[in-house]
Amino acid sequence: MNTVSAKYYDGKSAQQQSVVLRIADGLLQIQAGSLLREAPLSSVNISSKLGNTPRLLKFADGGHCEVQDHATFEALLKAAGVQPQSLLSRLEHGWHHALAATLLALVFVLASFYWGLPWVADIAAARIPARIALSIDTRVLETFDNGLMQASKLSVVRQQYLTRRFASLKKTDALPPPQLKFRNSKNIGANAFALPGGTIVVTDQLVALAGNDEEILAVLAHERGHVSERHPLRQILQSSVVGLAMTWYLGDISSLLAAAPTVLLETSYSRNFERRADQYSAKMLLLNKISPTRLADILEKLESSHAEKNVTQHPSSKLAELFSSHPDTTERIKELRNFTAQ
Amino acid sequence: MQDQELRFRFTGTGSEYFRIWIVNLVLTLLTLGIYSAWAKVRRVQYFYRNTQLNESGFDYHGSAIAILKGRLIAIALFAAYSITFRLNPLLGLVIGLFIALIMPYLLVTSFRFRLYNSSYRGLRFCFAGSVKSAYYAFLALPIFTVLTLYLLAPFTHQRIKAYQHNNSRFGQSKFSFNAGTGGFYKIYIISFLQLLLIVGLFGFGVYSVLKDIAKSMPKQELVGFIVIAYLLLILASLLIVPYFVSRIQNLIWNHTALGEHRLNSTLSVPGLAWVIFSNFIFIVITLGLFKPFADIRLARYRIEHLALLPAGNLDDFIASEQQQTNAAGMETAEIFDIDIGF
Repeated sequence: MNTVSAKYYDGKSAQQQSVVLRIADGLLQIQAGSLLREAPLSSVNISSKLGNTPRLLKFADGGHCEVQDHATFEALLKAAGVQPQSLLSRLEHGWHHALAATLLALVFVLASFYWGLPWVADIAAARIPARIALSIDTRVLETFDNGLMQASKLSVVRQQYLTRRFASLKKTDALPPPQLKFRNSKNIGANAFALPGGTIVVTDQLVALAGNDEEILAVLAHERGHVSERHPLRQILQSSVVGLAMTWYLGDISSLLAAAPTVLLETSYSRNFERRADQYSAKMLLLNKISPTRLADILEKLESSHAEKNVTQHPSSKLAELFSSHPDTTERIKELRNFTAQ
Repeated sequence: MQDQELRFRFTGTGSEYFRIWIVNLVLTLLTLGIYSAWAKVRRVQYFYRNTQLNESGFDYHGSAIAILKGRLIAIALFAAYSITFRLNPLLGLVIGLFIALIMPYLLVTSFRFRLYNSSYRGLRFCFAGSVKSAYYAFLALPIFTVLTLYLLAPFTHQRIKAYQHNNSRFGQSKFSFNAGTGGFYKIYIISFLQLLLIVGLFGFGVYSVLKDIAKSMPKQELVGFIVIAYLLLILASLLIVPYFVSRIQNLIWNHTALGEHRLNSTLSVPGLAWVIFSNFIFIVITLGLFKPFADIRLARYRIEHLALLPAGNLDDFIASEQQQTNAAGMETAEIFDIDIGF
């Protein structure tokens, strides 16, 4: 067998012609009873095998052949000294390749999620000008002030005292003193959080919850730790990328469902960030002869004051509190107490 | 006159496509997305070549480089918009307006690209719609639609389909579209009534449950209940999708003709609902690995419910002048593909 049957189309009409293909001396010959046409094999564009679909042989003038009998055609190509299947076709053919590809894809996705994305977000966050980060703060605060939060009921003297006291603490880095914003919010409860530009928002409820001012300073130092490592900005970048990827991946299902895993994943970032901020706070407190147990104390109070909430949460992860677990905070409190012992 | 209907057949299989899909996915990941253009060509070719009519398959000739260019442009536009909108809403708005202004033009080039690069039996399709009409269909009408609070949506949908189908050609034969706006309004209104019914029933159900026990329920359980009720509502609303999609597709194809040949689409609501829902469940269970199988199932269902009612010999189609004189491609340098789903 040195021929294979095919269908021929001339590219000028939709007419279909049954033909026989033969390769001889580097020439591709098409016969329909008699010789229909021939062309140097090298001038014919042979499509790479794609599943079980016909192979297409395209001529320069627009005519083409379709070959369905893969085995015979590949034998012809081999006999003519041509590689019968492209690398891609061979990759797509075997199940062992498919299995390897699945594992590779999984490893790649996990690696980029755990290492690649935080790394890129860190680099990108460092390059975002402070002016832009500050403009995000303004907009986030505006959103919060539209209902979720009200003006602080603390006296101006008290606000200024806390601001000055925190600014006068010795620091472990050269960061300028943060902008402190006091707000009253029954909805959010006792809480403090850092915004991308370095603004720290503290609720009246937190000030009221604290047993002494050192506990407030401990929380502020913790938030400063977030700012120092650009956690809010990095978190925004990371969750936007994860959100985009999820939407792309699950695109056909629904963007609503795509949002759920993102939220779940976000909390695991937060946990790592929380630990870093705790350590930062502990170091800064020790530098000022304040015991890191102050942070542990207020964490405990926060934990019991709203059982399901983490001490700090970022504006982007409102839903996250639904999924964050208690043991994590317990763990953090234990670490902080041990920090003193060290 | 023949009146024997010719059904479209789809010969792709999930197991075969899975291997193509996973290789595409891995190469796309490893090249940080660049390969996605080549992946698209292979994917579309797999679906086209497995779509058979009268013993011949379709084919796709899109150049991956052109697709890559289109994607880069789309990403650049999207990034410019979303970044500037966050930093400076006014500038973001200007860029958004600019995108809206060039969108109809991009759509026309994208239709030209897609149709010109599709062929059957060696004859190319082509799109001859004018840019001016595109501005009417894709810019003016959508604006009116929004202004009339979407009362005009079915009318706009009809005009867009008329623009697309009336300007499509296969070789020298023209497609024509003769569905009136009435059919579109009927489907839209029934879908809307279904939505109202589902939302109403759910609202009533949730209300009657909460009325009695809301006060005794702990706060977080209440939130959980509302979230679950909301998710159920979304799922129930998804029931409307198969109705809408199948009726619209039947309407469109049953009123589309190619020359004297008519088309017949017979999608059923339960049939499509089953494919969509089972796909959804399996994709969720397999964490997305079922996606290629789902794509194949949906394509098979849609394609195999389409038939051609030939009014003459299918061999009689002939290539357009353009294709004969310039088989290499028309304005290939100027046209590129942008993925805009409809």
